[in-house]
Amino acid sequence: MNAIEIKGLKKNFGDKQALKSLNMTVPMGAIYGFIGENGSGKSTTEKIICGLIHPNGGQVKLYGRDYRDGDVRAKVGVLIEAPGCFPNYSVWNNMMLQAANLSIKNPEKEVQKALKMVRMEGAAGNKYKNCSLGMKQRIGIAMALLGDPALLVLDEPLNGLDADGMRIMREVLTDIIKDGKHTVVVSSHLLGELQKIATHYGIIRHGKMLCEMTAEELDASCRTYVALQTKDMNRTKSILGCKYSRVEEDESGYIRVYDAKEPEEIVTYLYQNGVLVSEIKTDKIGLEEYYIDLMNAKEVR
Amino acid sequence: MEMTKKVKFESNSFGKRLKSMLKVDFRRMFTTPLFYIMLGVCLVVPILILVMTTMMDGTVTVDPNTGVETVIEAFDNVWQTIGSVSGEGAAMSMDLTGMCNINLVYFFAAVLVCLFISDDFRSGYAKNLFTVRAKKSDYVISKTLIGFIGGACMILAFFAGAMLGGAISGLPFDTGAAGTTGIVMCLLAKIFLIAVFVSIYVLMSVIGKQKLWQSLVGSLMVGMLFFMMIPMLTPLDSGIMNVIMCLAGGAVFSGGIGMISNKVLNSTSLV
Repeated sequence: MNAIEIKGLKKNFGDKQALKSLNMTVPMGAIYGFIGENGSGKSTTEKIICGLIHPNGGQVKLYGRDYRDGDVRAKVGVLIEAPGCFPNYSVWNNMMLQAANLSIKNPEKEVQKALKMVRMEGAAGNKYKNCSLGMKQRIGIAMALLGDPALLVLDEPLNGLDADGMRIMREVLTDIIKDGKHTVVVSSHLLGELQKIATHYGIIRHGKMLCEMTAEELDASCRTYVALQTKDMNRTKSILGCKYSRVEEDESGYIRVYDAKEPEEIVTYLYQNGVLVSEIKTDKIGLEEYYIDLMNAKEVR
Repeated sequence: MEMTKKVKFESNSFGKRLKSMLKVDFRRMFTTPLFYIMLGVCLVVPILILVMTTMMDGTVTVDPNTGVETVIEAFDNVWQTIGSVSGEGAAMSMDLTGMCNINLVYFFAAVLVCLFISDDFRSGYAKNLFTVRAKKSDYVISKTLIGFIGGACMILAFFAGAMLGGAISGLPFDTGAAGTTGIVMCLLAKIFLIAVFVSIYVLMSVIGKQKLWQSLVGSLMVGMLFFMMIPMLTPLDSGIMNVIMCLAGGAVFSGGIGMISNKVLNSTSLV
C-alpha cells in the first residue's frame, strides 16, 4: 500500500496555477525527498496533504483513504514553514498542548520521549520565544513526532540546523522508518543532506512532477566522471576541451571530464600533449548535480 | 527484508475529541494573561463609571458655540449599571446610564474571543491542530463554549465591580421593582445571551483568521447590530421567560452560526 497517492492534483491561487495535474506516489516506509525550486509547488502539495488548503481538482489518498478522513489525519505529523507554537509558552507547555490535541494517553512520557529524540530535553522549560532558530526547528520536529505519526510531512526541516542538528535529524528520520510503518515526506533545498537519508525522490517543477525515482534508480542514472589535477590547470582544460565535450572545473579545484570512459585514456591523452597528471579519480555526480542537470535539460527543451 | 506494513487507525468519538479540545482551550484560557486582563477591565470599569459619575453628578457643561447646557446625571442606583426595569425607557436610551453599563461586556468579549482565535492562526497552532483534526466543528464548538465561559466570567466580574463601585460611591442598593430574583434572572439571561455574541465573534474570527483587526472590526460591527436587543431581552426585572428566551436564543444562534463557521473553515485556506 502507498502512504500517499496523488492523481491529477490542481491548485490555483487566483490566476496562477500552482499545481498542474500533479501525480505523486509515496510508498509506505519511505523517506521521500521532495525536491523543487522555490515556488514549484512543494509547500502547496504538502499543505494539501495536511488538509490545510483545498485543491481545485484531483485526488489525494493517504493509506488508501481520502485525505480528509479524520482517522488518517490523526496519524499525520507536520512541520510546515515553522512549528506552530505559542511564543509565551514554554517548550514543554507547547508540547503538552499538542499532546492533548492528539488525545495521547501518557502525555508527559510521550513529550519527554519526543524531546529526547531531538536532544531538546534540557530546553523543555525555556520559553519558546527565547529559543534559537535551530532549537525551534528541533521543537517543531519533536512536535511532529508526537503521537507516533504514521506519516511525517516536513517542509524544510533542515533550515537553521547546525551540523549536529542535521546529524540528529538524519538519525531520527532513518530510525523512524526502520519498522516499515512510518513514512516521511521531506522537502529541502539542502540536497546533499537529503541524499544521505532519502529512499525515494520526487522532483517537481512549475506545479508538475518531473520524475519520481528510488535512491537506487537515482544512483544508476547519476553519471560518472573523471576528476583530475595537474600543475597547469588552464592548459589542461583547453587540451581536454579539444577531445571531450564537457570539461568543467569544480569548487574543490579538480577538472571534471564527464564523457571519458576510463581515467587511463585521459592520462595517456594528456601525456601525449605534454601534461603530467598529479592526481586522478573517478566519481559519480550527486543529487544536487543531477537535479541541476535535469533542470537545465528541461530548460533547453 | 519484508517489513510488517500495517498502520492502525483509531476512531475517536465526538465526545473524546471535544473533551481533549476543551481541555486544551481551558488550559490556554486560564493560563493566558489576556483572560485576567479582560477580567480586570470588567472589574475596574464599573468602579470607575460609578465613582466618576457620582463625583460629577449635577455638573453643568456649556457648549461655547451654541450655548447649550448639558447636565451630567449620575446613576441613582447601583442596579442601573446592570440594567433597567422594563418599560422605564432607559433601557433603550443613548445616555450615560443607558450605554455605560454591564452590556459593555458584550464588546469586551469580542476582544477576548478575537484575540484568542487569531492567536491560534498567527502562532501556527491552528496548522498543527487542523492537520491532526479533520473535523472543524470540534474547533468551533470548543471555541464557542470557551468564549461563552469567558464571557460569563466577565459578566460576573463586571457585576462584582458594580457592587464595589456602588459601595465606594455610596449609591443605594435598593432593588425596587426588580427584586433580588429579577436581578438574578437578569444576570442569568445576560450570561446566556452572551452565547449569541460569542458565536458571531467566533464566525468573524474564523473569517479573519490571523488578521486580528479584521476579526475585531467585523465582530464589533455585527455585534452592534444585536446590541440594542440586550436591554430589551434582559431587563432588570427579568423573569424565567427571559432566561429561557436567552438560553434558547443562545443555543439556536450558536448552532446556526457555528454551522456557518464550520463551513468557512472547511472551505477556506487554514494557513
